[in-house]
Amino acid sequence: MKLQRLRVEQVRQFRQPLQIADFSPGINLFSGPNESGKSTLVRAIRATFFERYRSSGVKDMLPWGDTSAAPQVELEFEHKGQRWQLAKRFLKQHRCDLNIDGQTFSGEEAEEKIADLLGFQFSGRGASRAEHWGIPGLLWIEQGQGQEIREAVQFAGDHLQSALGETLGEIASSGGDELIQAVDKMRSAFLTKTGRPTGEYKDVEDKLLSLQSGLQELDERVAHYQSQVDRLSELRSQHFKDESERPWEKLRRQQQEAQQRFEDVTKLNEQQSRDKHALVTCQEHIALVSDQLRAFQKIADDLREREQATLQAQEQLQLLRERETPIDSALQQAQSRYDAAREIEKKSRQQGQRQMLMREQEKLTEQQLKLNDNVVRARQLQTELQRYQQEQAACRIDGSALARLRAQEATLRELQIRQKSTATRVKFELEPGATIQLDKRPLEGAGEALLLHQATVDIAGMGRLQIIPGGDDVAELARNLEQAEEQVASLLDELQVDSLAAAEQRAERFQQLEATIGNHRKLLLSHAPQGVESLVTELNSIQAEIQTVQDRLLELPPLAADLPAPDLAEEQLEAAHRALKQTEEDAQQYARALAAAEQQARHAAEEYQRMQSQQSDPQREQRERAGGQRLVELRAEAASLTANIEARQKTIDEAHPEILQQDIKRYGDSATQLENTFRARLDALARLEAELETLGAQGLEEERARSAAELEALIRRHGEMKRLAGGATLLLDLLQEKRQQLTRQLQAPLQRHLNRYLQLLFPQASLEVDELLMPGRLVRNRGQGAEAGEFEALSFGAREQMGLISRLAYADLLKEADKPTLIILDDALVHSDEQRLVQMKRILFDAGQRHQILLFTCHPEKWLDMGVPIRELASLSAESPS
Amino acid sequence: MKFLHTADWQIGRQYERFGPEDGPALAEARLAAVERIAKLAVAENVDAVLVAGDVFDAQTVSDRTVRRLFNATEEFAGPWIMIPGNHDAALAESVWTRARRLHAVPDQVVLGLDPEPLLFPAQGFAVLPAPLTQRHTYGDLTAWFDTAKTPPDLVRIGLAHGSVEGILMEGIDSPNPIAQDRASRAQLDYLALGDWHGTRQINVRTWYSGTPEQDRFKDNGAGQVLLVELAQPGAEPVVTPVATGQYPWLQWQQALLVPSDLDQFIQRLEQLGQPSVLQLELSGQLDLSGDQRLRDALNQAEARHRGLLYDASALRLYPTEDDIAELHADGYVGEVIAELRERQDGDEGEMAREALAILARLLLDRKSPGEKS
Repeated sequence: MKLQRLRVEQVRQFRQPLQIADFSPGINLFSGPNESGKSTLVRAIRATFFERYRSSGVKDMLPWGDTSAAPQVELEFEHKGQRWQLAKRFLKQHRCDLNIDGQTFSGEEAEEKIADLLGFQFSGRGASRAEHWGIPGLLWIEQGQGQEIREAVQFAGDHLQSALGETLGEIASSGGDELIQAVDKMRSAFLTKTGRPTGEYKDVEDKLLSLQSGLQELDERVAHYQSQVDRLSELRSQHFKDESERPWEKLRRQQQEAQQRFEDVTKLNEQQSRDKHALVTCQEHIALVSDQLRAFQKIADDLREREQATLQAQEQLQLLRERETPIDSALQQAQSRYDAAREIEKKSRQQGQRQMLMREQEKLTEQQLKLNDNVVRARQLQTELQRYQQEQAACRIDGSALARLRAQEATLRELQIRQKSTATRVKFELEPGATIQLDKRPLEGAGEALLLHQATVDIAGMGRLQIIPGGDDVAELARNLEQAEEQVASLLDELQVDSLAAAEQRAERFQQLEATIGNHRKLLLSHAPQGVESLVTELNSIQAEIQTVQDRLLELPPLAADLPAPDLAEEQLEAAHRALKQTEEDAQQYARALAAAEQQARHAAEEYQRMQSQQSDPQREQRERAGGQRLVELRAEAASLTANIEARQKTIDEAHPEILQQDIKRYGDSATQLENTFRARLDALARLEAELETLGAQGLEEERARSAAELEALIRRHGEMKRLAGGATLLLDLLQEKRQQLTRQLQAPLQRHLNRYLQLLFPQASLEVDELLMPGRLVRNRGQGAEAGEFEALSFGAREQMGLISRLAYADLLKEADKPTLIILDDALVHSDEQRLVQMKRILFDAGQRHQILLFTCHPEKWLDMGVPIRELASLSAESPS
Repeated sequence: MKFLHTADWQIGRQYERFGPEDGPALAEARLAAVERIAKLAVAENVDAVLVAGDVFDAQTVSDRTVRRLFNATEEFAGPWIMIPGNHDAALAESVWTRARRLHAVPDQVVLGLDPEPLLFPAQGFAVLPAPLTQRHTYGDLTAWFDTAKTPPDLVRIGLAHGSVEGILMEGIDSPNPIAQDRASRAQLDYLALGDWHGTRQINVRTWYSGTPEQDRFKDNGAGQVLLVELAQPGAEPVVTPVATGQYPWLQWQQALLVPSDLDQFIQRLEQLGQPSVLQLELSGQLDLSGDQRLRDALNQAEARHRGLLYDASALRLYPTEDDIAELHADGYVGEVIAELRERQDGDEGEMAREALAILARLLLDRKSPGEKS
């Protein structure tokens, strides 16, 4: 289908007719700014096809503010070698005319022809809506709708599928889908979507499991029952055996025998212990008698010892007595040596004292002389000091008055100088002898007089000159001077001097005296720190001390020669003392030893006496003999007892009484054990019989057999259902697989077209198409392998691009099926970036080789490289014939 | 004298694997068989009924089952002489001790629970029982027969349960051995044996009676009792098997290779007049219509018989071209059919067969309303 001419009149801004007659068979680019009429043209084309000429739902096409207009559109296109001319007028005198190669149709018939050709429907009532648009809805992309493709594909679905060929349609018509539904339904009776058992199949499976576990339980119970029966049988045979053999009785007999033997041994043991006791007593007696005999023997021995000891003590005493005389004389000598040494020591000590006193007397005398000197000197200094102090008092002058005087004097002198300088100077050189009187004072010769006041010069004979000094200052100065002089005079008077010099002199003298007095005071202090009186007191006390020393010297004996020094004398005394002390100790020790020896000699003699009397007692000998006899008897008895004990112990040991005791216990316990076992077994038998009675009545094995048979049946049923479910699953899978395979096969042409375009945009990418021919998953090769994304999840721009590619592919498909294809793009690809746009333009250009494409844009600069002129709407409308 | 020899009643055996309806009926049939034996005993006017063990299928059958068994013997006044077998061995506690405790053992029943001769001078015979007192024994319990004394004027009959050595190698319940020449060694007039569920003669005087009501798919002459007649001690016994079974147990293996095989098989199934217990093993291949016919036939047989088990895992479903055309299975559905056909011989062949059957049924169902209209 190739659009060749379009004419619009009274449509929105094209109030005047606009005609475009030179459409190219490929790409046609129209540009213009916003509201220049691009969308109006698109609307006009759409309305011509989609809207019924009678429709009142096209009022938006009216020129603005002109409700009386009748929008009119004429279209002319070629399809399959036929020329189609379609003219529609809306709203006023509405009509529709179609001319196909000279064949004319009008009204609704004409509209149906057009709808058939392009593959869309008219709306039953009102304005046309998207669901009616069919193929044009897919290929005519409205502004901003490029990315929305799902609905458009859906509404064009039938047309697309029929374009894919008759076979795809047959899938549905032969009932394959119905079959799949039926199998799915059948399968869902057994299995859930995820393949888990459901419904009766699940019930059977659950019951199967419960039966299996029930059967297992029954098996266990049967096994338990059987083992209990075996146990019963075993217990019974044991019971009968025990009942006939009664094994515990034999054990009881054995226990009694052991008991008897143990009692025998016990008796022996008692006898043994009695004998052992007798033996102990006997041995004690032996010891006693032996002790007595030994005591007799000891008395004899002791008597000999005492005699010997007495002799020794006497001998010792004699030796000691011989030492008595020498010790006494040594003591006397030591005493006399000590006395002599003590006398010498006393004398020597007095001599020493005397010498010391004499040295002290000498020292004191020396001090006395020195003190005397000091007293004299100090008194002299004191006198001088008094004198200086009196003088100083006389020349004391007030320091501040002096200072004022100095200042006043200075002022006075300055005033005098100023007076001299300002005073009227009267120089005179008088002729010898001539005399004049100045203020009654004669002047002679030459000289100069200073006049401070009005003066009168009397020149004898001549009269008198009145000289009056000029200016107020002179008088003022004179008054100041006078004042200063008065003050000086008053100060001098106050200071009681006649001049400043005299005052200065007095002040200087006062200073000298001050220094002299200071020196004298220091000197006096060095001679008598505490004053002179204290010095005198000290002197007196020394004199008294000297007197005392002299008195003591008089008391001491006079000096003697050849006396040892007191230290030496003291040492000698000490030595003599030590020697005396040692000698005295020796003497005392000797005395003690002597006393002891005498005591011992006495004691030994007494002891000897006593023993001798004992030894000679006549009863003693008799008792000693009797003791000897008794000892022999006792020893014989002990020997006999020992032999008996040994023999009996052997018998006892051989009987092993402790083992016998164990035997008694062992046999007894064993018998009890057996009896208990027997009784317990009887109980167990009763219990077991009762239990088996109960268990037996339950018909366990019969029930088990029933369960097992039921299980078998159920397993078979389960198997059947499993087979059925498996069969259904297999069938469903296979049907779906085959169907999908077929669908893919049928979609191949579309896929081919899609891929042709897609390769230009994304090399090695593939876009899946679903059963409804919707674009689905996009698989791209990006760096690290394939990346897949659903169409709906792509970015806006990518969706727009994919949407356009898909539409172009659909167009190719339709074209192959000889269906008309006209592609209208109103402001397409505005969301594509530069690089993608380049690729998309290649794609569009490629599509333009096969399809007529009307592309409206407000960005003509982006479409300069499409190889076709860009027509501006403004110029078109200007060119159009009116 | 004249007596009935029977064994292996296996009372209490369960057949729930045949479903809730047939299972209890099959269990019931065993008691019915005992009742029929009682009737036969009366009809034949025998001197005794000897039961050679495995009267009960298990030790712990329910009290009710115990009572019903003994009740079933009522019609014949006895004596019934029963010994325990390996299923109901005379253990310390057994179904027998319980029966006694329940006072369920009627006067006409004599239990041979001990290896001691039982004398019936009035009827002119003595029975040497060899009861099993353990579940399994490895010694010959009939050995004592050799030296057992019985009055010479009485017919001497051995009653035992086990396997005769050297003869019965397979299908034996227990290893309890019995010497092959016991009858002659112990100078028995007759040795009545149990354990083998089919009737079988070992020698002139030694017989297995088999079970009176068949309970396995083994065609070995089960479902009979033996009527034994002995003119006098030492005379050769005259043994007559008498059918007592209600339901034959049949096991058929059928290969369906050509269409006529199926016709024959269905015919054979239809001709089976007596209600039976059937086990079918089918192999070969069928087209869709054949499959449908087979299903119909099996459904009918299931309704008519006491039990039906069949295994069709070796059966293949091969829809013919006509079948497929008939099903209007064009396009990919046709491909699915072809693939499933092939897959039947693969690892999950059974699954594929099932899938194919489902598909065929669905297609047929879909087609059928169209045909009717």
